[in-house]
Amino acid sequence: MRLIQKTNARALPAWLCVSLLMGLAGCDKRPRGPRYEGAGNPKPRDGGTFVFHHESNVRTLDPHLAYDELSNMAIRLLYDGLLDYDEQSNLIPSLAETMPTVSEDGKTFRFRLRRGVRFHPMPGLPKGRELIAEDIRWSLEHLLSGDVASPGFPFFRSIKGAEAFHSGNEKHIRGIRVLDRYTIEFTLSEADQTFLNSMAMTFAYPVPKENYARRGDQVGQYPVGTGPYMFQRWERGVQIEFVRNPRYFAARPGPNRMVYLENVQRYVASLRFQNGGLDAIHRYTPAHRRLYKTARRWKPHRKEFAEAVIYGLVMNCELPPFDNVHVRRAVAFALDRKGWAKARGDAFLPTGQFLPPSIAGHVPRLENRQRFDLARAKREMREAGFARGLRKEIVLWVGEGDSGRFYGELVQNDLAKIGIRVRVRQVSFAVYLEETAKPKTVQAFMSGWAKDFPDAASFFDPVFHSRSIRSRNSQNRSFYRNSQLDALLDAARIEQSPSRRAKLYQQASRIVTGDAPWAFVYNPLSMHVWQPYVRGYGPHPVWDKDYRSAWLDLPRRRVAHMLTGRRFAKSMASLFPFGPLMSKRFAEGRFTQRRRPAREGTMRLR
Amino acid sequence: MDGRAWRRFRKNKGALWGGMLVLSVTLVAALGPLLAPHDPDQQHRETLLSGDGSPVAPWSVPGHPLGADSLGRDELSRLLHGGAVSMQVAFFATALAVLLGVVVGALSGYFLGAFDFLSMRLVDVLLSTPFLLIAIAIQRVWDDPALWTLFVLLGLLSWTTLARVTRAKTMQVRALDYIQAARALGAGRMRILLRHVLPNVLGPVIVLGTTLVAQMIIVESAMSFLGLGVQPPQASWGSMLREGQELMDDAPRLMLFPAAFIVMTVFGFNLLGEGLRDAFDPKD
Repeated sequence: MRLIQKTNARALPAWLCVSLLMGLAGCDKRPRGPRYEGAGNPKPRDGGTFVFHHESNVRTLDPHLAYDELSNMAIRLLYDGLLDYDEQSNLIPSLAETMPTVSEDGKTFRFRLRRGVRFHPMPGLPKGRELIAEDIRWSLEHLLSGDVASPGFPFFRSIKGAEAFHSGNEKHIRGIRVLDRYTIEFTLSEADQTFLNSMAMTFAYPVPKENYARRGDQVGQYPVGTGPYMFQRWERGVQIEFVRNPRYFAARPGPNRMVYLENVQRYVASLRFQNGGLDAIHRYTPAHRRLYKTARRWKPHRKEFAEAVIYGLVMNCELPPFDNVHVRRAVAFALDRKGWAKARGDAFLPTGQFLPPSIAGHVPRLENRQRFDLARAKREMREAGFARGLRKEIVLWVGEGDSGRFYGELVQNDLAKIGIRVRVRQVSFAVYLEETAKPKTVQAFMSGWAKDFPDAASFFDPVFHSRSIRSRNSQNRSFYRNSQLDALLDAARIEQSPSRRAKLYQQASRIVTGDAPWAFVYNPLSMHVWQPYVRGYGPHPVWDKDYRSAWLDLPRRRVAHMLTGRRFAKSMASLFPFGPLMSKRFAEGRFTQRRRPAREGTMRLR
Repeated sequence: MDGRAWRRFRKNKGALWGGMLVLSVTLVAALGPLLAPHDPDQQHRETLLSGDGSPVAPWSVPGHPLGADSLGRDELSRLLHGGAVSMQVAFFATALAVLLGVVVGALSGYFLGAFDFLSMRLVDVLLSTPFLLIAIAIQRVWDDPALWTLFVLLGLLSWTTLARVTRAKTMQVRALDYIQAARALGAGRMRILLRHVLPNVLGPVIVLGTTLVAQMIIVESAMSFLGLGVQPPQASWGSMLREGQELMDDAPRLMLFPAAFIVMTVFGFNLLGEGLRDAFDPKD
């Protein structure tokens, strides 16, 4: 069997020349600005397909189980809550007609439902059916039942009888009462200051019980909600497709379809975006980030802001060597946060404490903040009894793709200096979510925490409260327990004075910074860039990537700048006989114009 | 290689060039880690990353002739170490494949029968599965991939062609008169196989082995490019290619350097293999 083709040795130089020429011709400088412009319609209009992406795969579309950024991007299209947030992070009614009436003692909340809201069509109910108060009750009971083991349970503990119901001692939740078809009342066991925030979380989004009866645990793949978009198709790991809900109660003009591309690597995302294959992007390689940040023509179509998100290195406090607080502190002091920011193209602000600056409870210039201090890190290693470093290497889980590996290598480099060898293991987001939530499984991993609502409780309670430790779906993934912290958090949760609350959370900040279950590393600077024809979109302060209000200002005909294409064609044509002639015709756009004008929604180069 | 083959080989310019390329790349790979001026995994974020975080260009910082990669690691050192890794994987994987292929091929070609039937069906199965896909699947399932798993895996998956060729040549040789003669003189089967058959099937095996090295380099690069080859922070040419991808617009050199080495090496091995085939088999 011959494995290679016999090459004609004499033809080789000629062949090489040709390929070199072709290579040079292909080296076209990408335009630094957008390639497509909007048509300039003053008023929002219908039509088009909006395409967005993320760099890993989506785990589930069941709002009772989803608790991550990727799933929430889709869930925000499919479902609605009783309450929502406006652009200033204020709570506003959504499925509720108005804000609920609250009793004097702050323990009873009565919601009136908007009439005429319908669930999406589902098998057996081709027109969907109306949302009624009973659905709200059923959804919450499903969410809080012990069998579902939803990570959302801790947020609703304060509803009277929720704990008893969760443990299976009672058949219904005492604190939820359906008064009539459109009225529901919640009674709390304590004056929980975050109850309304909890009710605005994706966990509390009402779902139809018919779908659960029919699909069982497949609901995550066949979601039915009330939202502006309906589920159409999910090619797992590739893309999720949505169509517009024609019966949406708050209908406003928008794209007819939405496509959520999964597993798009950062570099590829940028290329696709520049070619018009993606309508908005939010993850970049350092080089592309620099480009969008500096390019003048992208300026009206981008926004950069400090996100209320914390990223860090999470250490499992139940597994050696991180059961030793000194080792954890050593890690916290060994990470060169400024160096990381530089290598990452200044995509984040280094930090040394848990709460991001915009959250009440953040302590400016925290005295025991974690920072890069090699001498201190080495001292902590000595105190831990590992003056010569650890014998066994530790395994660090990171995300997929280049950026995951990148962070892994940054950690490897920094921890090597204090004698900790690190093996990096790249896993998919779904696996990571599953495994890091199990006790004594993953030693250390890079992770982030994005708020569920803009309040310190949304950071501390799920991440560090010992109650958030469970045998599966544990939200406290560092498995850190501190009864003193628990008491502080419980007190803060019901404290009605904002200033006293902030003080309690500042105290909590000091505790977790010192005990270092995480090495807190940075608050990301989020940058969103969208195509000029994407209108009505801007990152949302609470939901961040929320595309439900976007509309496409699609031109009636393709008025794309065929810049790159034309220049490329020109340079290719010049290589062949009659090249100049051909390239002239290309330059005049004769070939490109002869193409059938793209119909709405097909304005993509795929 | 007998005298005539060597003469034919010497006359073939392409083969000589290929041989020289292979020799020099092998030398670089063998001595690379010794020649490397810096620790390939050490990140110099202060000195080798410019103000905006992009890696410094070649020659801009003394002592770092090829500049740095995206994490501020010395590019030249990584190339040299990466070469060692890539060649190591390629050679060991090929050695394993040759060993397996020759043993299985010679045994089944000489003894025929049930062993021949079974081993050739196994070869059929392996040949009909997409190589890279299987390699990726297995490497992915392997909970804890190390460097040696990579070349064992590649070796285990790529011995099939060698086995086929060895078997065919063995069957051809075993029918020749001198084998009959050896048998008549009372030589044992093992002795015949080792002393009389094997030396005569080695020609095509060497040729195939040479081109297999080239293939292995490509496969290793492909797998490292997909993130399934060497583990971070270790460098191989394939993983460097992948790392360079992030900065393709700003610093295309980060992809071009390892790519050039891969192309050169594979080209060299292919030329050499072709020259060897012409030398061994004048009829073709």
